[in-house]
Amino acid sequence: MTARPNEEGVRAAGLRLRSLASVLLLLAIWETAARAHLAPTVLLPAFTVVAADLGRNIADGSLASDLTLSLYRAFTGLAIAGACGILLGMLMARSRAVHWLIDPLVAIGFPSPKIAFLPVFILWFGIESLSKILLVAFACVFPVIIGTYSAARAVHRVLLWSAFSLGTTQRGLLMCVILPASSPRIFATLRIALPVALITTFTAEMVAGGGGMGATLVYSQRFFESPTVFAYILVMLGIGLLLDAGVRVFARRYLAWAEE
Amino acid sequence: MHHDLLAHALIRAAPLLLFGILWQAASSVGLINAAFLPSPAAISVALADLLAGGEIGTNIFITLFRAGAGLLLGAVCGIWLGLMMARSLKFRAWVTPIVGGTYSLPKSALIPLFALWFGIGSITAICAVYLACLLPMTVNTFQGVVSTPKVLTWSADALGTRKRQMLRIYLRHALPDVFTGLRIALGFSFVLAISSEMIASTSGIGKLVFLYGENGAYDYMFAAIACVIGVAFLCDRAMLAVSAWCLRWHESAADARAA
Repeated sequence: MTARPNEEGVRAAGLRLRSLASVLLLLAIWETAARAHLAPTVLLPAFTVVAADLGRNIADGSLASDLTLSLYRAFTGLAIAGACGILLGMLMARSRAVHWLIDPLVAIGFPSPKIAFLPVFILWFGIESLSKILLVAFACVFPVIIGTYSAARAVHRVLLWSAFSLGTTQRGLLMCVILPASSPRIFATLRIALPVALITTFTAEMVAGGGGMGATLVYSQRFFESPTVFAYILVMLGIGLLLDAGVRVFARRYLAWAEE
Repeated sequence: MHHDLLAHALIRAAPLLLFGILWQAASSVGLINAAFLPSPAAISVALADLLAGGEIGTNIFITLFRAGAGLLLGAVCGIWLGLMMARSLKFRAWVTPIVGGTYSLPKSALIPLFALWFGIGSITAICAVYLACLLPMTVNTFQGVVSTPKVLTWSADALGTRKRQMLRIYLRHALPDVFTGLRIALGFSFVLAISSEMIASTSGIGKLVFLYGENGAYDYMFAAIACVIGVAFLCDRAMLAVSAWCLRWHESAADARAA
């Protein structure tokens, strides 16, 4: 337990080495299994083949256009959900009537699998981007409402009372006290909603087509272009990791004052 | 006491009734085009027809079986993985990059891959559900076990607890987190089961909803979606009740009673 700093450094390096080795080992097993034809090439293309396919997709711009379309849908939907969800959550926290009105809808909407509504959204908003963006917004809005509501309820009473005794208006209270005080927790719920937005976008594209990462992924699978399937999954994995890291950096820089 | 509960439930559900009446009124007057949104009455008729015909029951059971099997596998493996990661630094170092990577991956991306490997049907759906449930179970169990106070383990050690029994201490301390993970995984299991049915299956409620939509039987489509919402809601409530019962000894139970 009481290792000297130097020894601890060595141990940490050893653990990091294991993490690196684990990824490399996985790639090596994948490559050799594919090269040894342990599985048919259609089911398991070699990693190098997948990497070459990825390079081709990057070079001809198809990956870039799919990726921008998907990210545009995901982030527009998330932005709509954020705006509506924060507004509704705040209203629910401040007004009993609004709480009474919206609470049962949220209670039922939150656990329901939103992807089941995709045919409805296609019926109402067509097969192009709009239906997907609105489905993403619909899927993300419930966690945002619930998160904002509990964040606003958790604002310390002393803050509210102090603001009141200094003569704040309701509007001022909302904009200058409650919103800033609950912003770290609201950010945390947006962080939960971000992967939901990505999953919903990709799934909607897979089911309904209309371009984007998900649509290309499913077409490649149907035509048994397995290198592209693997390449696109790797890109989605990278996007997930990158966004997660970006959110973490953002939180450390701007929300460091709020220690949980 | 009983009357109070009933009255409370009615007051809570009143907005839903209000909403339904408004919707029905707007449909009857002709404000809402039935081709875009059938009236609640039409949906109810379709729902009664579906429930009587048994088609919906079979498909819901198929979906529930896929979701449940994946959830069960994911929970068992996830609890084991989380426990191992929390107990062994070396094991954690080996699996962290893989767990971290799959955690950030939108799991539905794997549906086409599983469809490629296992074809169309239950195995693909169960695999997708399994992976989606595995990650929240692993991460939550890990956090629950890692945060076990040293006082607990030291006391147990001092009393001569054997290694096997130590596991029970860790798991008991992690139980609230395990239930948090289970509730998240339950939500994922429905989403992934229905998604994979829409993408690669010939049966299940997801496929049924989609088929009704494609054939323009919108009252039946809405009725099937209403079934999905109802089943998901009931499962979520059942999970909450089970976790409240299992955690009735925990501090959080007292808070819940006080609130």
